[in-house]
Amino acid sequence: MAAGTATATGLRAPVPISGLRDISILRVAVITALLLLVLFGLPILNSNFWIQVNTQVAVYAITALGLGLLMGRVGLVSLGQIAVLALGAWVGARLLFATGVPFAVVLVMTGLITMVLGTLIGLPALRLSGLYLALVTLMLAGAIAVVLASTDFPNGGSGFLGHQEGGTEATSGAGTAETIRRPTIAESSDSYFRYTVIATALMFLLVLAHVRSKPGRAWAAIRQSEPAALAAGVNVTLYKLWAFALAAFITGIAGGLLAGENGVLFNYQFPTEDSIILLAVVLMGGIYSIWGAIIAGAFMRLLPELLNNWGLPADLLIILFGVGILQVLLTAPAGLIDQVPKDLRRLGRFLKRQVRGSPGQSADAAESG
Amino acid sequence: MVELGFLDLPSWSQLQPFIATGLALGGVYALSGVGMVVLYQTTGVLNLAFGAVGAMGALIAWELVNNAGMAEGLAYLVCILFGGAITLLYGAFFGAALAGRDPLVKATASLGLLLILLGTMSWIWSDKARSLTLPTSDPAFTVGEIFVNWTQLIALGLGIVVTFGTLAFLRFTNLGTAMRALANDREIAATLGVPVRKVEAQAWLVSGLLAGAAGLLLSNLVGLDAATLTFLVISSLAAALIARLRSLPITFFAALVVGLVTAMSTPWTPVSEYRQMAPFVLAVIALLWISRKREVTIPGASG
Amino acid sequence: MIEVENLEVRFGGVTPIDGMTVTFPGGTCGLIGPNGAGKTTFFNVLSGFVKPAAGSVRAYGEDLLAMADFRRARWGLRRTFQTEQAIEELSVYDNVAMVHEHSGLSRASRREDVLGALEFVGLKMNPGTRTGTLGARDRRLIEVARAVVGQPRLVLLDEPAAGLPDEETVQLGEVIKRIPDHMGGLVVLVDHDMSLVSACCQTTAVLDFGKLIADGPTEEVLREEQVMRAYLGTENGA
Repeated sequence: MAAGTATATGLRAPVPISGLRDISILRVAVITALLLLVLFGLPILNSNFWIQVNTQVAVYAITALGLGLLMGRVGLVSLGQIAVLALGAWVGARLLFATGVPFAVVLVMTGLITMVLGTLIGLPALRLSGLYLALVTLMLAGAIAVVLASTDFPNGGSGFLGHQEGGTEATSGAGTAETIRRPTIAESSDSYFRYTVIATALMFLLVLAHVRSKPGRAWAAIRQSEPAALAAGVNVTLYKLWAFALAAFITGIAGGLLAGENGVLFNYQFPTEDSIILLAVVLMGGIYSIWGAIIAGAFMRLLPELLNNWGLPADLLIILFGVGILQVLLTAPAGLIDQVPKDLRRLGRFLKRQVRGSPGQSADAAESG
Repeated sequence: MVELGFLDLPSWSQLQPFIATGLALGGVYALSGVGMVVLYQTTGVLNLAFGAVGAMGALIAWELVNNAGMAEGLAYLVCILFGGAITLLYGAFFGAALAGRDPLVKATASLGLLLILLGTMSWIWSDKARSLTLPTSDPAFTVGEIFVNWTQLIALGLGIVVTFGTLAFLRFTNLGTAMRALANDREIAATLGVPVRKVEAQAWLVSGLLAGAAGLLLSNLVGLDAATLTFLVISSLAAALIARLRSLPITFFAALVVGLVTAMSTPWTPVSEYRQMAPFVLAVIALLWISRKREVTIPGASG
Repeated sequence: MIEVENLEVRFGGVTPIDGMTVTFPGGTCGLIGPNGAGKTTFFNVLSGFVKPAAGSVRAYGEDLLAMADFRRARWGLRRTFQTEQAIEELSVYDNVAMVHEHSGLSRASRREDVLGALEFVGLKMNPGTRTGTLGARDRRLIEVARAVVGQPRLVLLDEPAAGLPDEETVQLGEVIKRIPDHMGGLVVLVDHDMSLVSACCQTTAVLDFGKLIADGPTEEVLREEQVMRAYLGTENGA
């Protein structure tokens, strides 16, 4: 598509606004540099333990991205995303034990299965108000916690549930060690970290691609006003489902990655309150920016470890997150979904001007993330 | 307990003992559920922290009885008053600050309170096993073949009294009418001279007291564990949801159903371990029924 | 043409539309009436947000009420709302393109159609501008552009001039007048501004308490006594 073609009256056609084509080169360069730094710099700087923590940060960043997508783009609140993560981890672990299929393929399968299950759960409430959806997902979080308490996670045992009572060497010291396998190219902590980061980057790209094309526009319309969206021809129920499905898909993959990271999964790793804590960190990280998801992942997995390191109780964080929810909601100008980081945008524009050298030239649209 | 195959439903005699438990639980869920619905109708806030409020009240009572040597009755009173106080405090500040916002925002905000309370409980009391036994919890008498204790009776009784008492209150007293006016249309109520802030404060206070009472009873019927009690709010929530956050009688009966289904699933081995899912399953069924006809909110009323 | 027959809408104890029968012949048709007369409710019925208790609506011979709400846009229904709803976070271009793509129109003609619609309403800024940064007038025009993009068959305009100063109302009137010929379709205009209605609409129908009380060429209708009486105390007749 040629840029800048003029129509008969001189109205200039814009540089293509949809798709990924218009992201500024500067942005891509910065992000690529950061990515390389993370991929190769972090493992060098960090010990094994911290690399594992960082792998978890990446996993929870994907999960936070899913929730951020639902809240920030579509205006849907889900209080059960950790339950979806647990579901993904379970499915991933089961498939990894039951089949010899390559890790990446298992991940995709996990994503798809979780997507179907997650969407089915949301279905009853999607046609009702956002409040009902939030409540149903909260109940889902509780329900899954109950189920996991009984079925536990697959640990190499047989049967549908794949769980061996009495545990394996990793858990109780008896029998042979049966940990969840990793991709053959990424067995060590460092290499698995890189694998996870790349997977995370791919998930972010997937979401970005959605946001900048037809579904993204439909979601923006739904967020602003459902009746207006309907009047514009948007099948609101379908697009809400789509957002839900996408969030469940990436969270399922995150679950699969988590399974590989931990090797052994325990049901206490997915308590009901984690879904609420996820909501808190996503709100605090900023639901409107993609970076917010990474901050959220760090809040959720890095901060507790840091606190532990410094001898402080992790419970304080929970209190902090509670305060965070209240603070964010109080200061958001027009509602839960209006968390536009105005300062970040202003900063972005300022930087752009410095680089380009002329004020106010490019379209604002090219900057919205 | 006899191991039952999937299609072997438990016999009546196996189910009987759980009827008392079920009704008692249902009574407490109704207690909490009614508080939630009244608060929601009056202020637009669905307080998801009610379970946490009750849990903390119960833990405070435990602390007072076991470590401060306070008389039990007084400690229980403190528990209930704490429920009222903390809820009122939250309502006074955050209820007012978020007054004009969407119910979804208000409900999400209450999750902030939930986390603050949960974190505090975790910090102060950690995960040690505790129990709080009300003096009324010894098996007292039998109804038919079922052993019933006073706690269970109080739980069910309180549920009935509160539900129908509240109904009468809303219908026949000035304050109750004022609350119904607020529920109907806050702004019009204000222009009609209803003291909105005062009425809301009452709603916050009373719902908080009910949450405290519910926490106390549940710590007896279920156990004194911060996380468990916090998320038992889900059972009350299911009842309130089935009642579409509107009808008190339906909240009551839905709460009883939730309590009964949960308790009576205990002897049925295939589902016994999953019985805590009952509120979720029941709520989903209710939602599927409700969402048969889709309702869309329309902008611009006049025309 | 649009044929409405015995339309009835009931909400709880109220009957916002009470046996409304009217035909909109073509071109630009006005729909006026005092506040609460049922005009927006009527639009909501056409949009599919409100299910009538009785009656039928036939648009170009097809049963409009049988279609699902979001499908009506694909059929060719477009609508603006009393409070403008242009999507703030999207660019001007995307706002209009969105309607185009969700109405099942071909991708090939999209750029042309969208830019054409923007030109038609007279929006001259860079289409890449984010809508949230624009003022009320421009957002109104974006709404109109969204309503006329891609050969619509029925365009419902709900008080498009509300809050606009006289000058801009006249300009808007000029745009609206040209819609049937340039962009196709029948326009139904609801507004309280009688000068706008008489400027744009060849025929006008008058609603009061959910019933039709007058119908015909605009000039005649605006002079009828009943119409003036219905408006007494609320608006001045033309």
